[in-house]
Amino acid sequence: MSIQRRSVLSAAALAVSALATSGSALAQGEDIVLGGSIPMTGVFAFAGIGVNAGIQDYVKIANDAGGIKGRKLRYVPEDTGYKVDASVAAFKKITSQNKVHLYYGDSTGFAKTINPELERSGQILMAGASFATEINDPKKYPYQFLVGPDYTEMIGILLKHIAKVKPGAKVAFVYSDSEFGRDPIDESRAGAKKLGLNVAVEIMTPPGSVDVSGEVIKLRRADPDFTIFHGYVLAPIPEFVIQAKKLGMKSQFMGTFWTMDNSMVMKMGEAADGFMGVMPFRYYYDTEGKSPMLEKIRALHPNEYQSAPYMQGFLTAMLMTEAAKRTLDAGKPLDGKNLKAALNSIKNFDTGGIIGTPITIKGNSIPVGRIYKADIKQQKMLPASDWITLE
Amino acid sequence: MRIGAAKESYVADAALFDTPTQRVWIGLAFAALCAFPFVADEYWLYLACLIAINVASACGLNILTGYTGLVSLGQAAFMGLGAYTVAVMENRLGTPFGINLLAGGLVAMAGGVVVGIPSLRVKGLYLAISTIAASVLAHFLFANFKFTGGTAGLSIQPARFFGIALDTSFRLYWLIVPLAVLMLLGAANLFRTRIGRAFIAIRDRDISAEVLGIPLLRYKLMSFGLSSFYAGVAGGLWAYFFRVVTPESFPLIMSIFFLAAIIVGGMGSILGCILGAVFMTLVPELLKIVVGWLPMSTNATLVLSPVRTMVFGALIIGFLIFEPHGLAEMWRRVRRYFHLWPFRT
Repeated sequence: MSIQRRSVLSAAALAVSALATSGSALAQGEDIVLGGSIPMTGVFAFAGIGVNAGIQDYVKIANDAGGIKGRKLRYVPEDTGYKVDASVAAFKKITSQNKVHLYYGDSTGFAKTINPELERSGQILMAGASFATEINDPKKYPYQFLVGPDYTEMIGILLKHIAKVKPGAKVAFVYSDSEFGRDPIDESRAGAKKLGLNVAVEIMTPPGSVDVSGEVIKLRRADPDFTIFHGYVLAPIPEFVIQAKKLGMKSQFMGTFWTMDNSMVMKMGEAADGFMGVMPFRYYYDTEGKSPMLEKIRALHPNEYQSAPYMQGFLTAMLMTEAAKRTLDAGKPLDGKNLKAALNSIKNFDTGGIIGTPITIKGNSIPVGRIYKADIKQQKMLPASDWITLE
Repeated sequence: MRIGAAKESYVADAALFDTPTQRVWIGLAFAALCAFPFVADEYWLYLACLIAINVASACGLNILTGYTGLVSLGQAAFMGLGAYTVAVMENRLGTPFGINLLAGGLVAMAGGVVVGIPSLRVKGLYLAISTIAASVLAHFLFANFKFTGGTAGLSIQPARFFGIALDTSFRLYWLIVPLAVLMLLGAANLFRTRIGRAFIAIRDRDISAEVLGIPLLRYKLMSFGLSSFYAGVAGGLWAYFFRVVTPESFPLIMSIFFLAAIIVGGMGSILGCILGAVFMTLVPELLKIVVGWLPMSTNATLVLSPVRTMVFGALIIGFLIFEPHGLAEMWRRVRRYFHLWPFRT
């Protein structure tokens, strides 16, 4: 009995020492881990798959170029199905198995839920698929940033463009009754007023609504020059546009980032022609100017269109890598505070053509975008403005 | 082999754990639950807490649907009521978490009683549809009231126990798991009382129950109230666990999740709601781990993610086809096998 107990104890001691050794080996490991709660299944999979491919490609490019100061960048994704509890589980799993410094989150809900944990650990810099205005607050979200403008800034870019092409224009906001949809409306209403624009009507549609005939009549009555949709990926935008055009409306229809992927807009069919919107990144097929990173992407995927979420994932990995590089260059440890400070030191940074203008990251967002317009004949989104930066 | 358990009194007959073997196993399970936080990493502790919250809520739904026969799709809404109550009380009043959780349960209970009123007139699918109204109404209230934070919701300060912030899974484990165990014990005991047996009588045949002298309205509303109290407390725990509540935190699909949990686990069984909630929460994660073991490239995650979801769906369908009485019945069969071993059942 005693022999058995001794052997059990020695086996346990061996196991503990093995665990401790593997733990310390992990701590001294060279890899810089970029974890990701990625929605590869579920309602947001269309974006998650693109984001995943974008991060993967940039990590490959970075590692092929020697990594970050000789350290390899390692991407550890986990599917979440776009559920907050699964996203948190993925975070816990990845962070308990790896020493994670960089993280990609899949939703606003996750960004808000994991924020106390990020603050508590202070080890991770996070970005993600959310462009929620609330997250664009460095005090409340000190270790997070948005890869692009927040939703209010997106509409701000659209309004700036509208004020330039048609001063005093009548604008309509059509948005979904969700956190995503309502996010920019209050501030955008004030923003429009500041720019001398007239908000003719605000229409809120129930989440998942299909029949919008009543709302279209309301829109027609207001007869806006520009109609901005927000809080949707696609439906019910095509229904709105088709019905409004049938009623003879001449309003210019516009959308924000999640609607603006080329394949998404083209799904509208003929109704897509002339559809405009704000896009913080350039499209895969955009050959204008010098764009070495876009060329690399095209070389990796010849004649295979890569989506807007791909570009967002790619740029996220690029900016995180840059922040890590700057932190290591300064001889500082890789933690949330140093990584964020390094990120905020980015000034006039050339993204290699992913964004068509040099970027500066002052706070939690990159308030830059360009207006693109759908050309149904070419099946492409074409630039309709220069790059617009909000101050 | 055990041929039977002799019971010499009614008290022994009604005992919750009727054999010494059972008591030993329960003791071991209790010891394992106590030891678990010291050996598990953050990921497993997170899952343990999530499972405990889901078990508590599923147990509440089982009281209503499994034991009283009233189908409800409002469980998520009641959880939301509890979660918001806790969030508002914690942020605005700063009251201790025990009071907040109790208040969360009571507010959800009040909501449950109101939603349960149609249960006297409608049953089955009709009642299920009427309880969907609770989800819609709760979402509207959460999204449009100022004190609930509108669509952005509320962030919550961590629960505090003698000044210690319960802000890690390890610390929260000691709040969530004991409370869930307590709630399970409460539910198990409920069905040894007149009230619990009245619920069962209503489920089996409500007209006969009324003939037997059980006031249907009172007991049906009581069942709704108890079930939503469980949901409210579980929702409160959920709020302390995730520290953020938004109107989108408690969608209708969450109610379907709990209904699926008690169907897969076994309706009308306490063990069933434990097994069902464990199955529904843990299996998707276990499938991820299994996929992770496969020697494939990073792309495998992308390719195998939909396959994993399909396997999970197939497992649920498989259980429903091959064991309509749920996992609890399978467990009972396994137990019976060992009781009679080496003889065949």
